[in-house]
Amino acid sequence: MTKVGLFLCECGPNIAEAVDLDKVTEVIKGDKKVALIERHRLLCSEDGKKFLAESIKKNGFERIVIAACSPKQHENTFMEVMTRAGLNPYLFQMVNIREQCAWMTPDKELATQKAIRLIRAAINRINYHTPLKQKEIECSPDVLIIGAGITGIETALRTAQKNRNIYIVEKNELGGVLNRLQSLYPGMQSARELLQKKIKEIKSHPEIKVFQKSKIKEILGFFGNFIARIETEDKKEVKLNIGSIILTIGGETFVPAELPNFGYKKFENVFTADEFENSVINKENLPQTIAIVHCVGREKFGYCSKICCANSMKLARLIKEKSKNTKVFQFYKELCLPGKEYDQFYKETKEQGVEFIRYKNIEIGDHKIDYISEDEIKQSLSVDMIILSTGLVPGKDTQYFANLLNIPLDDYGFFKEEHIKLAPVSTITEGISIAGGCQGPQDLNDAVIQAGASAGRTLSSLIPGRRLQVEAKTCEIADSICVGCGVCVRVCTYGALTIDESKHISVVNEVLCRGCGNCAAACPSGAARHRHFTNQEIYQEERAMLK
Amino acid sequence: METKNKDILIIGAGLAGIEASLLCARAGRKVYLLEKEPYFGGSAIKSEEVFPLMECATCMLAPKQSDVLENKNIELLTLSELQEVQGEAGNFTARIKKQARYVSLENCIGCGACFEPCPVEIDNNFEEGLSKRKAIYIACAGALPNAPAIDMNYCLRKKGEDCQACKQSCMFDAILYDDKDREITVNVGAIIVATGFKLGDASQYTNYGYKKFKNVLSAFEFERLRASNGPTTGIIQTKDGSPPDSIALIHCVGRKEKGYCSQVCCLYLTKFAHYAFDKIPGVKVYQFYKELSIPGKENEHFYKEIQKKGINSIRAENIEIIEADSGLQINYQNGNNKNGSIAVDMVVLAPPIEPHPETRNIARILNIELDQFGFLKTQPFNPVESNRAGIYIAGCAREPNFMQEAVVQAQDAAGQALNITED
Repeated sequence: MTKVGLFLCECGPNIAEAVDLDKVTEVIKGDKKVALIERHRLLCSEDGKKFLAESIKKNGFERIVIAACSPKQHENTFMEVMTRAGLNPYLFQMVNIREQCAWMTPDKELATQKAIRLIRAAINRINYHTPLKQKEIECSPDVLIIGAGITGIETALRTAQKNRNIYIVEKNELGGVLNRLQSLYPGMQSARELLQKKIKEIKSHPEIKVFQKSKIKEILGFFGNFIARIETEDKKEVKLNIGSIILTIGGETFVPAELPNFGYKKFENVFTADEFENSVINKENLPQTIAIVHCVGREKFGYCSKICCANSMKLARLIKEKSKNTKVFQFYKELCLPGKEYDQFYKETKEQGVEFIRYKNIEIGDHKIDYISEDEIKQSLSVDMIILSTGLVPGKDTQYFANLLNIPLDDYGFFKEEHIKLAPVSTITEGISIAGGCQGPQDLNDAVIQAGASAGRTLSSLIPGRRLQVEAKTCEIADSICVGCGVCVRVCTYGALTIDESKHISVVNEVLCRGCGNCAAACPSGAARHRHFTNQEIYQEERAMLK
Repeated sequence: METKNKDILIIGAGLAGIEASLLCARAGRKVYLLEKEPYFGGSAIKSEEVFPLMECATCMLAPKQSDVLENKNIELLTLSELQEVQGEAGNFTARIKKQARYVSLENCIGCGACFEPCPVEIDNNFEEGLSKRKAIYIACAGALPNAPAIDMNYCLRKKGEDCQACKQSCMFDAILYDDKDREITVNVGAIIVATGFKLGDASQYTNYGYKKFKNVLSAFEFERLRASNGPTTGIIQTKDGSPPDSIALIHCVGRKEKGYCSQVCCLYLTKFAHYAFDKIPGVKVYQFYKELSIPGKENEHFYKEIQKKGINSIRAENIEIIEADSGLQINYQNGNNKNGSIAVDMVVLAPPIEPHPETRNIARILNIELDQFGFLKTQPFNPVESNRAGIYIAGCAREPNFMQEAVVQAQDAAGQALNITED
């Protein structure tokens, strides 16, 4: 039998006064599974850690149970002591007799009983622990960026470093949506100049390789070791080894063809904002009156795209720049101008004579707009041209890449982030990031920051010359039991499980597995198993607890 | 060429500072994470829940906070403020003043036995003055690092008395009356500023009656009323202790005067409406707004839910709040220029998000520019870069932001800090 040491921590008066540790010692002493019970006033103190290390050596303990505070507080502390004392730190079980007993149960007798049960459970469990090893794998620091709009270009520039190759693949020309813009709000700088400068930078950068008019055919592998197959412009196939992937495929502007009240493609002189800025504005003469209608499609896709209000004001200013006497009307519902720069932009736009009209309902006719104002009055306005300020929606390729990389989409069809607040440019699959319009509607500033963020995450996690650390507490599949039913593949949140078609069994990718245990719980045959929460470990723990 | 210093200094340990620290540390860099308060986590930990998923804020932050505390590469310096910075990108020298905590972080286990015996009682700023704390205190239950500090401005020892109440109650020898302020000098290659925001003082906009009428609250006061670790353990109540029958949420307080939209208020007021509907059965909720701004794919649904729950939305100008027999009365002019008036038990104001008062000082020390509003200025097409190489800005120090924006800015800033310190 292995030699198990049990350590009771008094946590000063915190545990000692609320749990009768003498009684605990007395009751547990008879348990043959425990070689020795040690007690300390404060095991997490420097003195306590020294005591623990010395006791392990002196008594030749092979496994350790510590009854003390929450593992959240000091599990790592004690695991480090064990490692230094030459023990595998996973041959350890911590029992929380402070937060779960001393601080919760005012009756000392009951708290003591509870502590005894919890300790017994840990003792019964510990002999079934197996030593686990923190593994390291070789990895590539190179990065594949998919999509060379401004977000992709910026991501490439930010990720490029010595000893790191960046590949950027674009199915069309470089530049994305910026190619279609005249200027950028609120500074009204030229979009073209910015884009040309950035394109020149990536093309001349020694660490960046640009693939224009190229397609991604296949991506295999996992964080640190992906292989991508690319079909280049001249139909050659290129294979790239990369460590991480950043999706910057952008979004699209909504085309309001299915919304009859906006008159798109029905009446002449009704354009989308995108069409107007890309081509119509270049025409010789702009007409006398132009109306810009906000929030087109918002109700249909179910969110505010954030950029349209300010963009509509930008269009008004472009019109005024070109044709001072053209009268511009903005038909809006709510003005969304978040951030420090836009109230001023709005004020200046109004000062140029642009008129703002709030509508509740709108119907676009032939050279006219019928609308209902907020106080329910029906009104009508004749105009020469109508610009529909449409929102941003996911691009057509989003679904293709979601399938290719096995990552989920959100309710609206954008790539789903790992956490909307805390991890907005991460996906659930480690090593695959998202940035820009494919993550959600956003303006240029947001997109550039997301580019920087996805670059930052890559620079921090994939360092040239460094190996990747892999989680020790992962799941495994027993080949001989697995029937390849695929239940585990469906419940795995991290894309760590796949079916090996040749052997017809499930396979765990240990780089992607985060040890959540979903597969182990769902597996109908018991083939999927969590290395640190085996059925046997849990059963033995519960058996002792409930006895 | 001289080798660049690889270490990174991060000023402010709120959500942005934490995120930037974790990224830099993961790359193997030594990080000095500066926080002027005795606890870290910033403004985010004041919230009970985070919109739109209504997740518990402290539960969201706690794992990141423990990652910081356990990370060997991160040195969290609480009660610390930047004094002086010299040098340039790749080689900065920063002088930091670290105030005495008077409590040993090594010995203290955070049991809290010292609070009760302390004879001094003062307003708890963290709780917006809604509850009291002792001279030896933690900001709120669950504050990290899990150890109190002695506020020497109020401790009786400062007045020459030989009070030893906390020391006598401590079983772990953690009280250090002779602890001294220290000066630390660190050498770093890059600096990230993430000093956050302060909510504007609503009393300067006198028409809202803030600080004049007791049931007119500012946003954080309401947030702390709902906080389960707050002064009322999460019970929303008026100053006389009863649940309000009606609540008015006032948008855009001070927006016109400040000249910018603070971006987050429409949505946190929507969250407040959810709080009210979920916690007070039968409550009437009104909102007075000018323009609704709920940008982003995830938020519209969240807003529509309060419409379903029955919020009464009034577009209004010229709001004036006065005290009436029945409680508070809101006089306003609606969107169609008609006058109206509504009586409520409680009013919650959304004042502007302003730069933290320390921002100006930090800008002076770092020799970086401020914008017209007093936020730290960043570069066109590089919204986290200051005008000085090697110094980056993330979170509300640069502009009012949502949490997810603070996170991506921190990640961006971390990436640029890592990059510029490569040889």
